[in-house]
Amino acid sequence: MAKKKETQNDLVSGKYIALTNKGKKYEFYISEDSAITYKNKILSISIDESEGFTFIEFGKNKYPVEIIDRNQNKYEVLINNVSYNFTVETPFSFKRKQLLTSQQPSSKTENIVAPLPGKILEIMAEEGVSVLEGDAVLILEAMKMQNEITSHVSGKVKKIFVKCGDTVMKDDPLMEIEK
Amino acid sequence: MSIKSLLIANRGEIAIRIISTAKKMGIKSYVIKTTKEPNETYLQMADEVIEFPAKHDEIPEFLDIESIILIAKKHKINAIHPGYGFLAENPYFAKRCEEQGIIFIGPSPDAIYKMGNKTIAKQIAGKHNIPLLKGSVESIKSFTEAERIAEKIGYPVILKAAAGVGGRGMRIVEKSSEMAKLFKLATSEAQKAFNDSSVFIEKYVRNPRHIEFQIFGDKHGNVIHLGERECSIQRKHQKLLEEAPSVAIDDTLRKKMGEEAVKIAKAVNYYSAGTVEFLLDSEKKYFFMEMNTRIQVEHPVTEMVTGLDLIEWQIRIANGEKLPLKQNEVKINGWSIECRINAEDVQSNFSPFLGTIKNISIPRSKNVRIDTGIREGTEITPYFDSMIAKLIVHGENRELAIETALNALQKFKIKGIKTTIPFCKAVLNNKAFRLGKLNTSFIENELKELYFQEPDEELMAALFVIYSHAKELKSETAAVLNYDKGKHLTPWVLNKRIKSL
Repeated sequence: MAKKKETQNDLVSGKYIALTNKGKKYEFYISEDSAITYKNKILSISIDESEGFTFIEFGKNKYPVEIIDRNQNKYEVLINNVSYNFTVETPFSFKRKQLLTSQQPSSKTENIVAPLPGKILEIMAEEGVSVLEGDAVLILEAMKMQNEITSHVSGKVKKIFVKCGDTVMKDDPLMEIEK
Repeated sequence: MSIKSLLIANRGEIAIRIISTAKKMGIKSYVIKTTKEPNETYLQMADEVIEFPAKHDEIPEFLDIESIILIAKKHKINAIHPGYGFLAENPYFAKRCEEQGIIFIGPSPDAIYKMGNKTIAKQIAGKHNIPLLKGSVESIKSFTEAERIAEKIGYPVILKAAAGVGGRGMRIVEKSSEMAKLFKLATSEAQKAFNDSSVFIEKYVRNPRHIEFQIFGDKHGNVIHLGERECSIQRKHQKLLEEAPSVAIDDTLRKKMGEEAVKIAKAVNYYSAGTVEFLLDSEKKYFFMEMNTRIQVEHPVTEMVTGLDLIEWQIRIANGEKLPLKQNEVKINGWSIECRINAEDVQSNFSPFLGTIKNISIPRSKNVRIDTGIREGTEITPYFDSMIAKLIVHGENRELAIETALNALQKFKIKGIKTTIPFCKAVLNNKAFRLGKLNTSFIENELKELYFQEPDEELMAALFVIYSHAKELKSETAAVLNYDKGKHLTPWVLNKRIKSL
């Protein structure tokens, strides 16, 4: 029998998948009485709250855990201060996927984004000019250091979204490269 | 003790550190409140909080010399402790304190100036026959000059900002084709950070150990050293983990290097706390690098192995007292390690993590000391650096110190932000680290993974996510079902209703 802190029947049953951003799949099955099965074995887990911290206990291990970011079914979780990203597939989303028929055209452009927050100091790229993978395109000042941002693809600079002096946040698009 | 009141021109954990010693000595502590962090912990610990006068200029509060001096004068405060960073190594600030009759807790303006300029410091070291790395003694004006000198010394070389501190304004140049670009980056970074674009050039020693000696002088000409610290675990010249003593230093080498450190301090009539930095190559040859004329972030490891309070020593020396110990009375006991815990995302290249600390649990035990300025509710902002705590341990020997550190790191719980704790665990668990095989390229060469993963961690993370999500789905469907109780719903309608939640 699965151990949990809350009462029985509090989880929607069915197949669930947690997909890592490296493509690894963790497949679970939750039964009608909320037992969680993984690789054909019922898992004995326990989720506890203590002094404002959440812990997950499994076997000999008990680790502090916290969901630090979430966007619908995309999660970022911190466990032992290490971050893991998962996309969750649920019994409902499987059904929804079967109904979808549209296909996304393959993307011909890629964005270069800011790897950390900072200020744009210098832009070496120019709209309309080609760059090679590895070329330095921009200098970003952050945490008192100057960081050279390089292009991870080769192509033509389609659009530059920032100008010198702009402040950017992490993941803000800096420029669009047409491959 | 003529110092009855002390203004701390700093914030965060070092402000708290200084307050704690001031309290012990019965000295009234004053701190400054800024609009950038009006609720910080250090404000609650001091005897009196002074609000910084409204700002109409761009100068950050803790760099505003005249305003700080005015605050001290207005409140008739005897002395100012600058902490580390900010104005700690600003000779003009030290001089202004002197001119205004305020005791500066630190060395003389002249010593700060001379040792603060790497070019001058090297010239003084050279004059006293202290071993130096081959390089330029004068600042370099152009990249062509840099190229010429580099050809003479032989690549690889390193460009360093003459007025630089904390590893900023440094660039390693492997070959001449890189010199033009790197010279430009180094000089512009130096200009921005220190308002002085001068750089000098030095032979680059591959994989050295960073060994620094804590020295202390008094105003009566006495100088002693308190042993070394090894600070080789660095990333982009920022120290992440320090220890005292060093595996590489035996009693003979300690005595020799200690004497050199004392010699250079005496050469500038040094008093108060100071640190003399050396590089130690693989053949145990040492080279003077620079001197830091302030109390350092990692001073606690020296305190743990000597049993001394270095902030108290600083205040006593500023008060005119003689050094409390003679060189032969200094004893080093056991081993100490310090882990710097920063609000950084190790998995995203240590990028600064901004957020609010939702909860924190600090381990308290014998042999574990945590110096921190944060608490629940603290907001990590981009205004100040990312260090949130120092975890310092002591053990009878190095192995015990490592075990104590790992236990303490596991007990250190923090919610709401990402920290470098898994990085500290990776270093402490690393085989080469445990064998003491350290050098400044340790992180690049020895760490296969930058963060430590406990057994089954990813599986348990996945489980937690699925569990949380499934639970949420249940409460959403329950809400929908309750609303529609009694109505007959086809599965498609129910699905649509849930989709729209």
